Amino acid sequence: MKISRTWLQSYVDLAGLTADEIARAITFLGFEVEGIRVTGAPALAQVVVGEVLTRNPHPNADKLSVCTVDVGPAGGVKTIVCGAQNYQVGDRVPVALPGAVLPGNFEIKQSKIRGQSSDGMMCSAKELGISEDAAGLLLLTGRPELGAPINSVLPPGDTVFDLEITPNRPDCLGHLGVARELAAWFKKDLVYPTVNFTPAQADPQPRPDLLHSVRVDAPADCPLYTATVVTGVKIGPSPGWLQQRLTAVGLRPVNNVVDVGNFVMLEYNQPVHAFDARKLAGRALVVRHAREGEKITTLDKAERTLTAGTLVIADAEKPVVIAGIMGGLDSGVGADTTDLVLEVACFRRQSVRATSKRLGLASDSSYRYERGVDPHSLEEARHRCLDLLLATAGGEVAGPTLKVGGDVPWQREITVTPAYINQRLGFTIPADEMQAALERLELATVRTDATSDRGPAWTFSIPSWRDDLDRPIDLVEEVLRLHGSDHIPATQVIAPALLADDAPIVGFNRRVTDTLVGQGFNECITYTLRPAPEAGLWAPAATVGGLALANPFIADQSHLRPTLVAGLLETLKLNQARGTSAARLFETGRVFLEHDGRMWECAAAAFLICDREKDRAWRRRAPADFYTVKGLTESLAGAAGVELTRQVLASVVPPTHGWQAGHAAMAGELQHRGWIAQFGLVDLALVQSLGIEGTVHAGLFAILPEKLAAEASRRRYADFSLMPAALRDLALVVDTAAPAADVQKILAKIARTATGHAFALESVAVFDVYQGEGLPAGKKSLAFSLVFRTADRTLTDDEVNTALSKIQAAITADGTIALRA
Amino acid sequence: MQDQLTALLAQASAEFPSLASRPAFEAAKARYVGPHGALTTLMKQMGGVPKEQRPAMGKLINEAKTQLQGQLDAALTRIAAAELAARLGPAVDATLPSPDPAPGTRHPLTLVRDELASILRKAGFVIADGPEVETEYFCFDALNTPADHPARDAQDTFYLPADARFGNVAKKTPGEKHLLRTHTSSVQIRTMLSGSPPIRIIAPGRVYRRDTVDATHSANFHQLEGLYVDKNVTVRDLKALLDYIFTSLLGADTKVRFRPHYFGYTEPSFEVDLSARHLPKVNKEWVEICGCGMVDPLVFSGVGYDPEVWSGYAFGLGLERLAMMLYGIDDIRYFYQNDLRFLKQFA
Repeated sequence: MKISRTWLQSYVDLAGLTADEIARAITFLGFEVEGIRVTGAPALAQVVVGEVLTRNPHPNADKLSVCTVDVGPAGGVKTIVCGAQNYQVGDRVPVALPGAVLPGNFEIKQSKIRGQSSDGMMCSAKELGISEDAAGLLLLTGRPELGAPINSVLPPGDTVFDLEITPNRPDCLGHLGVARELAAWFKKDLVYPTVNFTPAQADPQPRPDLLHSVRVDAPADCPLYTATVVTGVKIGPSPGWLQQRLTAVGLRPVNNVVDVGNFVMLEYNQPVHAFDARKLAGRALVVRHAREGEKITTLDKAERTLTAGTLVIADAEKPVVIAGIMGGLDSGVGADTTDLVLEVACFRRQSVRATSKRLGLASDSSYRYERGVDPHSLEEARHRCLDLLLATAGGEVAGPTLKVGGDVPWQREITVTPAYINQRLGFTIPADEMQAALERLELATVRTDATSDRGPAWTFSIPSWRDDLDRPIDLVEEVLRLHGSDHIPATQVIAPALLADDAPIVGFNRRVTDTLVGQGFNECITYTLRPAPEAGLWAPAATVGGLALANPFIADQSHLRPTLVAGLLETLKLNQARGTSAARLFETGRVFLEHDGRMWECAAAAFLICDREKDRAWRRRAPADFYTVKGLTESLAGAAGVELTRQVLASVVPPTHGWQAGHAAMAGELQHRGWIAQFGLVDLALVQSLGIEGTVHAGLFAILPEKLAAEASRRRYADFSLMPAALRDLALVVDTAAPAADVQKILAKIARTATGHAFALESVAVFDVYQGEGLPAGKKSLAFSLVFRTADRTLTDDEVNTALSKIQAAITADGTIALRA
Repeated sequence: MQDQLTALLAQASAEFPSLASRPAFEAAKARYVGPHGALTTLMKQMGGVPKEQRPAMGKLINEAKTQLQGQLDAALTRIAAAELAARLGPAVDATLPSPDPAPGTRHPLTLVRDELASILRKAGFVIADGPEVETEYFCFDALNTPADHPARDAQDTFYLPADARFGNVAKKTPGEKHLLRTHTSSVQIRTMLSGSPPIRIIAPGRVYRRDTVDATHSANFHQLEGLYVDKNVTVRDLKALLDYIFTSLLGADTKVRFRPHYFGYTEPSFEVDLSARHLPKVNKEWVEICGCGMVDPLVFSGVGYDPEVWSGYAFGLGLERLAMMLYGIDDIRYFYQNDLRFLKQFA
């Protein structure tokens, strides 16, 4: 919203204030100043109109001239040395006399230039601060009077503030509203525009030949509609002052009628519209909802097809205006218009907004209706508009204004005590300062009551344009705004302990991050929104739809991510492309997983390790493999309190969703456990197709946030034996496909039975896996180390050997497991 | 016999220093002092020595035995030392780098988040969490954002299809749509509904806006939300907390100012500007950093807190924006590209 300082000056005296002071006031009133633009000439004392009488070359300088210049009553004939070339004897130019201070704090003094005395300076437009033109002297046209102050000759300067008006303050979408705020801030009077027009001024004779009737068929969307006939207008350019106002705030002057309408909108925040009365079919105006498929060509020359429900103003045949948004091309005021109908109306903001959105069509008018136009200021704005119309376009108001809809009476009062305001603020503002501040904002004190314990209670009437003020707390803000929110006194933070805990996910993320950073991983943050093909790679086909957004912004950010690994691969690729070695990456964040026909938002952590020949080192370490990432994934699960070593692992089989079949595994599910783990080799072909070099191993752990426990219960100490252990090794021959964990489970169970209650199997672990020469085809050997121990004595060889014999007999009993010879 | 002993000792001192391995040593030891060794054999001849010579002879044998033992011990020590030496490769070049992975790094956004969290933890705030897929109620309605508010436009907010089904993001009312939260303020509502006052939480997290990606805009970014609910919480308390946060973060010379602003869920509302001399890449005097305000009574009523009893404040700031300011980063996209040369600068 552009606000002109010159325009504001009509309502509030800001003389003597710098632009920065005004900008600061606006800022602390609550409107961000996004820009300040200075136009025209600044105030320039001692700069006057002069005429070049003679021009002779400077005796000591090739490029300078010595001139005599007549400045008339401002000092007669002066001798001035000048370096410009674009002028001739007889030209009138700006002359800065000694004592003048030009923009940039450049003070003009009597001086000697190369031995020639000079009584001032003839100026370029740039030197006067009115434009960037420094090519030569500013040649004044129209032979202005000699000695006249330059400001009386140049177009007046202005300062235009570009403000961000918050949505709660539509009243400040007009200059009058901003002026009211500034008047309150600077404690100045607010001067309303003088409105001369009264209905009594109108020609009492109605003109049904120009406007026969006004009907509102959609009163809910148009609570108030007025139409006034003005006859005998003469369309032409608007006066200079009006054009300057509009130009200053970025509007292009069109003609006197359109310009007056825009002026009133920018003054009162009340949009108005003028029709050429002779272009209205049937001489009727109907405010109604459009019929499906009705068409209108709007002022921007675009033909628009309307849908049912679009609020329009129509004549007897067709829509002529999209209500509150834009007029039709055919019914508007043109050069030959003599009689017009002035519409000043109030439309429901939701209706204007919905239509504007649906048509993708916005205007200064729709912007204001959407945010709120004060229906109680409508009459005043209408009178102001008629006043200006008659003054600039001539003509007269014909007949009474046709008005449909009633004025909803406005009355709102808020009662507040200074004690309440001070209590909410936490510091004291004197009561009289508060009351004065509110009254400067035109909140009138209706009455003052005494309360038993809180001092006086004021009841304020709220002006109709301040619909945002509804409750006592709203007045706290008004008081603080005018007090200055940069004057809130400093104090200590008072924070009585609440003894609460962080959400469990905080601990999970912290443990995961500590673990992986400790293992040399670099934390990444990648986008949550992913392209559809990628989501399809990592999630089962049937669930990809559940990840889709209704309104993606760009195609490659259309789906929620089902994994973190894809983002890490993208990061890996970017780093490889840039020649940066990124071997170990991880991320913590949300992933979205399907279960039971629904999507579930899960907390997740994932990492990857990339090995490639290119990443050379003077000593090459063994590359990571499946078991590296298995161990790391166990750590991630452990961070969530899940012991992955005790879980059933399933080998990945097609469709593998990003993993390499036979070289990756998964565990868990959402329904009962509430978590899943995936780890192993990332699909070689996928990695290759992404343009990533090397092999990538990765791991992912995801858990429903609600399954993350606050803290594990405290551990109990378990007694352990101080007696020596008895160690035995046992090599078993099994099918190649037999999982080691299954064989171990069988072995442990048998071993426990074999030892009975006499002593115990303390642990069993695989220490060798062999396949090849010496074994039958399709078989492998798993070698286990068994540790036996008792609590209270040293085991004898005999008893351990007896147990081992029993184990050997039992484990080979069903023939699937053999002892290795 | 004496001559034999002398010869034996001479032979031993010639042979022992050249023993190179433990088996050679053991063999030599057996040849001299073993059950069939030379010295043992001589000792067995003692029986044939005349009685009067025996003490002198015995002394000689003992001396020889001691000498042999000494030589054997020396040889063993030498061999043991040689064995250890053999386990070593050539001396290391201490200047070669470790080939193992370099220490990992935390993302700069994590560092800034953690730093803020530790500052706020001192003031009694704990971390709360909420889902990124939200519903209209938690993201808008409960925060006093009317149904036709522009922030709710499909133009600015990512929605999920009307038939989207989420297992752990329950709707408050049947008609509302799921969306990606546009701010972490939704966690305020969840926290107030699931707990009871007094409350003092921060909620860092990821948020989404339907925006063109450029140097300062990203489809998702991170915020840190704060909420304090108690009795008699004032505007001055809010200012004190923000002063504390930013002087802790940026030093005692930091200035913080409040400008009135408008948010639907706070009243009064402010934008917060910072001024600190040593901030890189900031050439304006004041930099906008945070939005805040006193919790609007309507928000309290909506979650069933009596606004006559409870008061409070809320604030929210963008972590990317803060990190960009603190570290002097000029492009938000760097946070999401994760170039290692970027990531390694902060840990």
